[in-house]
Amino acid sequence: MMRPAHILLLVLIVLLAADGFLLLSSAHRRARWREQDRLRAIAVSGLGLTDLCVATEARYTRHPAVTDLVAPFMDHPGAMDHFPTGSFWAPPPRP
Amino acid sequence: MRTLARQINILDYALSSLWRRRLKNASVLVVFTAVIFLVASFQMVTDALTGTAQEVLVNAPQITLQRMSAGRQVNIPLAYAGKLGAIYGISNIVPRVWGYYFDELTGANLTIMGLDTSRMPMGDQLRLTLAEGTFPAAGSRGSVVLGQAVRDMVRARGSQLLSLFRNDLSMASYQVAGVFSRATDILTRDLVVMSIADARDLFRIPPGQATDLCIYVANPTEIGTIARKIADLLPDTRVVTRPQILKTYRVVFGWRSGFGSICLLTALTAFVILAWDKASGLSLEEKREIAILKVLGWQTADILAVRFWESLLVSGLAFLLGVTLAYVHVVFLDGVLFRPVMVGWSVIFPPFHLAPAMNAQVFFLIFCLSVLPYLAATVIPAWHTATVRADSALSGA
Repeated sequence: MMRPAHILLLVLIVLLAADGFLLLSSAHRRARWREQDRLRAIAVSGLGLTDLCVATEARYTRHPAVTDLVAPFMDHPGAMDHFPTGSFWAPPPRP
Repeated sequence: MRTLARQINILDYALSSLWRRRLKNASVLVVFTAVIFLVASFQMVTDALTGTAQEVLVNAPQITLQRMSAGRQVNIPLAYAGKLGAIYGISNIVPRVWGYYFDELTGANLTIMGLDTSRMPMGDQLRLTLAEGTFPAAGSRGSVVLGQAVRDMVRARGSQLLSLFRNDLSMASYQVAGVFSRATDILTRDLVVMSIADARDLFRIPPGQATDLCIYVANPTEIGTIARKIADLLPDTRVVTRPQILKTYRVVFGWRSGFGSICLLTALTAFVILAWDKASGLSLEEKREIAILKVLGWQTADILAVRFWESLLVSGLAFLLGVTLAYVHVVFLDGVLFRPVMVGWSVIFPPFHLAPAMNAQVFFLIFCLSVLPYLAATVIPAWHTATVRADSALSGA
């Protein structure tokens, strides 16, 4: 019969092997992403883009870098931020 | 060799002890794993987005000039570009007309961008970013280049033309000249690029005005100085520099956001409850076990070693499982649990093929915040009990 420590060792080997596979997969994905770096550089330079297209529901999360500083609350005094993405984005730093 | 054999024996005993109380330990393991999963997932998603932004936005306009009025951004007169001629070091000023178009049929927000690409850096290479078609010649009217999501919308309508309504509800139709590659989805997915004259016509912006000005300087080290000179010369403007854009993207995805704070507070609360349970003392059964072990001749150090192994096993396994599951969640499931808050009600959003950099610092931080305090919270009460005389511990029990 196996000792408990040996069972633990087996569990750890399986977990670490899975993590090793994930690390390799991460390196592979990043290498594939890097192959297309030039295309993104051309798009940003050629179109003068300032922001990532992550969320498109509100202008202050579509273009946080160039939006009005108080955009979430400027529709009327005391207006609440009602877009869900407003909770994911932290406010941009003051210039 | 004897020490190793002794430690393996103690490990065996600790594993058997964990197995005896398997229901309680399994529930601690599940909660601990969930807490680490939540923290690690959020950190990986925000790291991946921050890293992507820092990589791609290093080519953003050096200076973006907007005009402000009554606390809002308004159109900027093209005459402002003439005033900037007095500032030495500016090499190029390109006006842009851009804005948002809400498509009532799909509920999608499109970003409309009108500019003369021939005046932009790398503007002559933009055709390389297309998956199909060509980039229209500078100034040519009636042709647009679409992001992938906008092309899908046009296709779904069975049309070859992109039709948009002007402010007065008259319709403007554009020939689709090209479609951006999927490789640029994170930047262009909702984009409609057209000539500046077409954008002015769509948004009804007078010819002498633009939405903002992209300003380029001859010496990039002078961006800050020239930005200050522009702000002094044109006090009703907001000057956004490339370093400011990068700085914005270093902080917008982080623990200070509402959702980030909730994740962190939830994790902290769960962890404090776990640690409190451990630190508030050992159960009667555990105290009896320690007393019996002492009667049988175990030293205080041996008992501490057992408790140390038990805690290390629970917290270490939770750490490994939590981080592994977080990686699978972020990379293979595209952060599906966070997507409702990341994209909100957006109809258009990119496929989140996130590739977080496996940053050792992040894992070390999570390890230090979770495993080490748990070890301390468990071993210290055990040390208190193990230093009490066995007979008093037994009689106390």
